[in-house]
Amino acid sequence: MLLFRDEEHVDRWCAARDLPRGAILTLEQTWRLADGWYRNKVKSDWRRHTLEETESLLGSIGLTDPFWNLRG
Amino acid sequence: MTEHETDLDAIARDVRIHVFNEAATTGRVPQAPAIAQALGRSEADVRAALHTLAAAKVLILAPNDGNIWAANPFCAVPSGFRVAAAGKHYWGICIWDALGVAAALGSDAVITASCGDCGTSMSLEVRDGQLSRGEGIVHFAIPAHHWWDNIGFT
Repeated sequence: MLLFRDEEHVDRWCAARDLPRGAILTLEQTWRLADGWYRNKVKSDWRRHTLEETESLLGSIGLTDPFWNLRG
Repeated sequence: MTEHETDLDAIARDVRIHVFNEAATTGRVPQAPAIAQALGRSEADVRAALHTLAAAKVLILAPNDGNIWAANPFCAVPSGFRVAAAGKHYWGICIWDALGVAAALGSDAVITASCGDCGTSMSLEVRDGQLSRGEGIVHFAIPAHHWWDNIGFT
């Protein structure tokens, strides 16, 4: 996932690659996603989040539309 | 579970802890020969453990040489997402992981990246566990269920 100046730049990047626009997050949402995902990664007792925990994290930052569906 | 599998799981745990501790404390992701030396294991055992960890999506191996590409969020090679934190420099494979470095370290950080479209340099800052400064937006190109189809392009 890439950083862009604004949505116009996202659309230009997508058009250049013939890709549909994906999902756009604010920086705050991305920070909260990164913090929830990686906060414990260095700890010796780290374990992967369960599917339900990951869904809860996504939901807590408003990522609930089908783009974020983890179950296929 | 066979005895061999149990042993491999134990080695994989030791390798995981070592790799992530090294990445966090030094800014460099160690590779198999150095991991083997540090843990007193054979390089073959370490490489088997790395494949186990990659299969479990704990880290990512480079496709050709089997070296660690990213003990995500820590990228083993320079990228377009640079993180300055705790007096060291780190890299993320994407903006999510660059922010993830700050989260994993529990450290203030300054992230330098560029607009994916026009290349304009952009900067973000994490301070006291909060995103304190930033510009721009983030685009996820690939739906979540397909991220691991090609983790290098999400």
